[in-house]
Amino acid sequence: MYRVLGGLGRSIPSGGNLWTHSGVATRTLSVATGHTDPADEQVLRKRKFQPQQAPDLSEQLAGQLPGRARVVICGGGITGASVAYHLGLHGWGGETLLIEQDRVGGELPWSACGLAGRFEPSYTELKLAEYSIDLIKQLTERGLPTGWRQVGSLNLARNFDRMTSFNRMKSQAVAWGMNCEILSPEQCQQHCPLLSLDGIEGGLWIPEDGVCDPHLVCHAYVEEARRLGVQIVEHCAIKKIHSEHGKVKRVETTAGDVDCEYFVNCTGFWAREVGTLSKPVVKVPLKAVEHHYLHTQAIDGLDPNTPFVRDFDGRIFFRECEGHILAGGFEREAKMVYEDGVIPLSQTARQFPPDWDHFHELLDALLVRVPSFREATLDRLTNSLQVFSPDCKWILGEAPEIQNYYVAAGNKTMGVSASGGIGRVLTDLITKGSTYLDLHILDISRFLGLHNNRKFLRDRCKEAPGKHFEINYPFEEFQTGRNLRMSPIYPQLKEAGAVFGQSMGYERANYFDQKDKKDEFGLPRFRIAQTRTFGKPPWFDHVASEYRACRERVGIADYSSFTKYDFWSKGTEVVDLLQYLCSNDVDVAVGSIIHTGMQNHNGGYENDCSLARLSERHYMMIAPTIQQTRSMCWIRKNMPDHLRAKVNVADVTSMYTAICILGPYSRILLSELTDTDLTPKNFPFFTYKELDVGLADGIRVLNITHTGELGYVLYIPNEYALHVYSRLYQAGHKFNIQHAGYYATRALRIEKFYAFWGQDLDTFTTPLECGRSWRVKFNKPINFIGRDALLKQREEGVKRMYVQLLLNDHDHEVDMWCWGGEPIYRDGVYVGMTTTTGYGYTFEKQVCLGFVRNFDEQGQELAVTNDYILSGHYEVEVAGVRFEAKVNLHSPNLPTKFPDREREAYHATRDKPDQADLLSFSSHLTTVTRGGGH
Amino acid sequence: MFKFVLNDAATCVRNNVRDFSLNALRLLPHLPQLSPYDVNLQLRENEFVYNFPVDGIVRSYETNQLGSNSPCEDSRTEASLLHRNGFICGIFDGHGGAACGQVVSKRLLRYVSAATLPRQVLKEHIKQNCNSQSFLKCHNDNVDFVNEIKPIYEHSFQKYIKQLSQTPQRDVGSELVHAFLQLDEALSHEALATIDVRTMGVALSGAVACLVHLEGLQLHVASTGDCGAVLGVLDPQTSQWQPKKLNIEHNADNMTEVKRILDEHPKEEHDTAIRNGRLLSQLAPLRAFGDYRYKWSLDIMQKKVVPLIGEQAMAPNYYTPPYLTARPDVQQHELSVNDKFLVIASDGLWDFLSPSEVVSLVGEHINSKKILEPMRLPEGNPTLQQISDQLAERKAGLTRKPIDQNAATHLIRNALGATDYGIEHSKISYYLSLPKDVVRLYRDDITITVIYFNTEHIARLRDAGTGISAPAA
Repeated sequence: MYRVLGGLGRSIPSGGNLWTHSGVATRTLSVATGHTDPADEQVLRKRKFQPQQAPDLSEQLAGQLPGRARVVICGGGITGASVAYHLGLHGWGGETLLIEQDRVGGELPWSACGLAGRFEPSYTELKLAEYSIDLIKQLTERGLPTGWRQVGSLNLARNFDRMTSFNRMKSQAVAWGMNCEILSPEQCQQHCPLLSLDGIEGGLWIPEDGVCDPHLVCHAYVEEARRLGVQIVEHCAIKKIHSEHGKVKRVETTAGDVDCEYFVNCTGFWAREVGTLSKPVVKVPLKAVEHHYLHTQAIDGLDPNTPFVRDFDGRIFFRECEGHILAGGFEREAKMVYEDGVIPLSQTARQFPPDWDHFHELLDALLVRVPSFREATLDRLTNSLQVFSPDCKWILGEAPEIQNYYVAAGNKTMGVSASGGIGRVLTDLITKGSTYLDLHILDISRFLGLHNNRKFLRDRCKEAPGKHFEINYPFEEFQTGRNLRMSPIYPQLKEAGAVFGQSMGYERANYFDQKDKKDEFGLPRFRIAQTRTFGKPPWFDHVASEYRACRERVGIADYSSFTKYDFWSKGTEVVDLLQYLCSNDVDVAVGSIIHTGMQNHNGGYENDCSLARLSERHYMMIAPTIQQTRSMCWIRKNMPDHLRAKVNVADVTSMYTAICILGPYSRILLSELTDTDLTPKNFPFFTYKELDVGLADGIRVLNITHTGELGYVLYIPNEYALHVYSRLYQAGHKFNIQHAGYYATRALRIEKFYAFWGQDLDTFTTPLECGRSWRVKFNKPINFIGRDALLKQREEGVKRMYVQLLLNDHDHEVDMWCWGGEPIYRDGVYVGMTTTTGYGYTFEKQVCLGFVRNFDEQGQELAVTNDYILSGHYEVEVAGVRFEAKVNLHSPNLPTKFPDREREAYHATRDKPDQADLLSFSSHLTTVTRGGGH
Repeated sequence: MFKFVLNDAATCVRNNVRDFSLNALRLLPHLPQLSPYDVNLQLRENEFVYNFPVDGIVRSYETNQLGSNSPCEDSRTEASLLHRNGFICGIFDGHGGAACGQVVSKRLLRYVSAATLPRQVLKEHIKQNCNSQSFLKCHNDNVDFVNEIKPIYEHSFQKYIKQLSQTPQRDVGSELVHAFLQLDEALSHEALATIDVRTMGVALSGAVACLVHLEGLQLHVASTGDCGAVLGVLDPQTSQWQPKKLNIEHNADNMTEVKRILDEHPKEEHDTAIRNGRLLSQLAPLRAFGDYRYKWSLDIMQKKVVPLIGEQAMAPNYYTPPYLTARPDVQQHELSVNDKFLVIASDGLWDFLSPSEVVSLVGEHINSKKILEPMRLPEGNPTLQQISDQLAERKAGLTRKPIDQNAATHLIRNALGATDYGIEHSKISYYLSLPKDVVRLYRDDITITVIYFNTEHIARLRDAGTGISAPAA
């Protein structure tokens, strides 16, 4: 209501000009609320990563900094210190410079748990951790203070699946050379009487784990590195890393420039930002999250030898530390900090108040596990930064963008366990070019540009820390950062009931489930594949039906995520390049497809790919999805200088959609949509043709399926993809065409004994070991990479051999399944590990692929022969239970209603190393194409 | 008689127009729908929070203002008293223009801060050539008088403190009344003595005021007009929030007040002095600063005001002025440990919410706001169990996590958006997007200040017994 009625109010002269705004008063306002000037804050927020400027110090330092060094290590944390120490050990001490923007080892004293443990999900990580622990022990024995105490680690399970994962670990431990023991709940309590056994099903005891003080360890590394001649300069920040011809050339620091050959980025949470200081930008996908550590005050009567306890299902861990308890955990969803990616350089600016509400869940879990801690008094809860990579694994290796630029980062709270091993392998890589472990799962080239997207990292890294303590189920998927890379037919697949898995950011249909495929609005639902068991997976029946469709009718699968490269040149340089990189002979008739490895100097597989010769001077390469960044690095790095300017290599992965049709009717189906004659005579197995399909043209069709089934993979320019897909699917109706997911094609290839890179093959596996020596052409007129090593191996015989094992008496409904990594016993003696495994729907058995070795009584490795393999009695141990197994050395011929001469003639894995190529069409084809061409 | 009925009907329609038209307006398609972000921007534009750095009786205060008139006719000022440990704040709701409210808002606190200073100290300061701002420090003050006006006001202030210094000290209540009246008189004097149209504008526009003076445990609320002050008391037995009203509005609903006015004027004027719930059927509050159209004699009106504005300046039935006074009602309250906060607000808020609603809203906000702040650990050496218990308690509050950190904003949001099913965004959006020419029908300017007391400090003062001794009379 108006307070004054009557028309007077408005005519009264207004008091508006009684006021002036005083700037001073506005300023006091901001001071009063305790903030800095908002304008300054804005500037700070917008600021790009800027190294700290310390002019006085820089002048002092100017004399200290050498003009050149062979290796410049940036970052004086524990990782950098370890790399410096190992370079020193290798005799490079005098040529190594370590620079640190603050003080060496200056991490906050309350922000690490100091566990030196080896409970890691993969062999590589475990071996690195094991080396680190041994190194810490060694340093301790030499009298350096490290705080090392071998208290053992006690890992608790609250449910059956966790216990299964412990049992699997215990089985693997034999192979991995790790000492561990499965405990009953009562035994757990004997190791740590503080525990409440409420809900505990059992435990895993690792006696050789221990605790140390990360700061002392870091200082020990630093001291040793100094002793070995490494020069360490503190208060010196990196400003720029210059490269020339794709190699590291020089670094610019606040204290002057240093010429160098190698640069190692060990800058912890700044690694991503330091990556931006070079051109091209080195992508180090990392995100800092908050991480809490709880310190109690000293507790009377606390046993100093209390083991390091991890209650995985409660997401917590604790240890004894100088008379008090240090506890922490990995929450389900981590809390982001510095979402803009700019992390302050000074420690004081990085200190966050502890977020008790966030820690609450973990605190309660701790109090449930150890009721006596309820009465313990608090000393402090610290909130420190920890960085995680998008897949929650360390990031190591040479940057794909710049040669001789190495990265060691993303140590995700495990700095101590990681640092020693990382120092060693990086030193090996720098000084020798290779190391003693296969690192591909940790290699920085496992990422794409998308992984370095800040918003992607922000989403994904919420989830990453929690993964740390989650059960390591097979085929685990992340829930965040999804629907990122999708093939053009993705909406159709989703509508058809696809349940997706992600590989290199690509959504792949893993299987198809017709139930609940729509949401409440009738729209197709995005579903993420989940296995969440070590036994018979929930998708078993779906995959069975897809499998049968591929074997008996026709299946349609999306292969779009596969890495696709084009190679071409004006002259024949492309042939020269590929002959040098590949172990198979690539100079085949135009239109042929060859499977070939790209070997490293030790003969191991750096890449395993199919090459289709599109024309005399144009090849297309198909490689596993995870090779997208990696194979480009390998090719660039090993490209002979004289070819560099002449051969074009292009990553065309994103330009083509790959649709595979597979099964006995696939040929009839495709022939309905194209004019070209598809009979084996005109378009044989293992050849390529560019076809018109439906109304579209220019479709690259490869007559292979990567599964051992008959069929075709169509590489379709993206804009035609939907058209070709719909035509295929429509035409396929009368053959009862069915969608097949990745799990089905995987089941097919395992049964057919096909090896895949990254799962069966790695940088330490040679073609001779995996029944593929027939794909190595020693007699081709070029000394391809790895030839000498392979020749030597051919002389000496292989030390391990790739086999297929079929488990007998395994009930797939009841027994735990094989998921890879199970130990293989021959006549009761451990001989090797499985790599990929699955259920063979035709054999109706568990099928394991794996490598078998031959150890003599002293543990020495002997050559493995076919007779050795075939003469043994095999068993595979699955989560503590051994199953008898039948061994195969070559791809089996599966019973089928649709016999096909070509398919049966082709064995991907062969037992006779020099078995002649059984395919007779190649010479015939040469004449056909040549005749057609002229 | 017929006329009276008609008037009554008009009032009735006006009172209900909000309910009727709001529903009608909601159906209008052209009203823009504001996004939650826009709503937040508007609601939070004038937010202010001040946490007292030193240990005092007031822990912090939160204030906010949502304008309806343009410019907003409400003003607010909060200040710490210098030379002693005290706090003073006020809310001023102007009418007939913003001028009077703004001027009084700045000047009244200066007058009061001088008046409640011990005379001895005041005299010393006068010797040292003090000015009007020597006795207080304003917290949210970013405007000042223009240069032409400043010396006039300064002169009045000097006159006032000189006069003060010659009179003996009275109790705080009397000093407050005196300061109110003196300032109101100064407004008249300045308007008549100078020819500046601005001072006349101030005298002719009006403002109601609610002023809180707090020193030691002694809380004084001086109110002129229809602002409201209510104390939030936490009942220690039931943990329920109880409101304690600390003023009585001077409007037509207040029978004592109506009676006072009618008694001051001849019987013949009983029908005209207050009609339709308004003074001289024009002014809703029955006491106010300024509004000299209802105070000056007929003579002054004819000579000074009518030439400036015209005949309509004279209110109907203006026979025996003054009809209006700025004399405040003063209530005194001694703070106890159960007194947690004090809300003062202009009638824009009280139109929507009752004092008990306001107190429970702020009380709930205090509880749930704990979740918005980082946890404070219990003092001493807490055990982990104690911490865990406290965290569980906080977690329970999470479900009631308010949208606003500022209690004043929380109140405004509830005033505009509360429904039976919680806050409804669309309702706030409609209130905020109403066209300028009708918005005043639906909501008045709202200004709120919430003052939080420091319970520990109160307890300490009560134990020491020092709170009893108000500044020496």
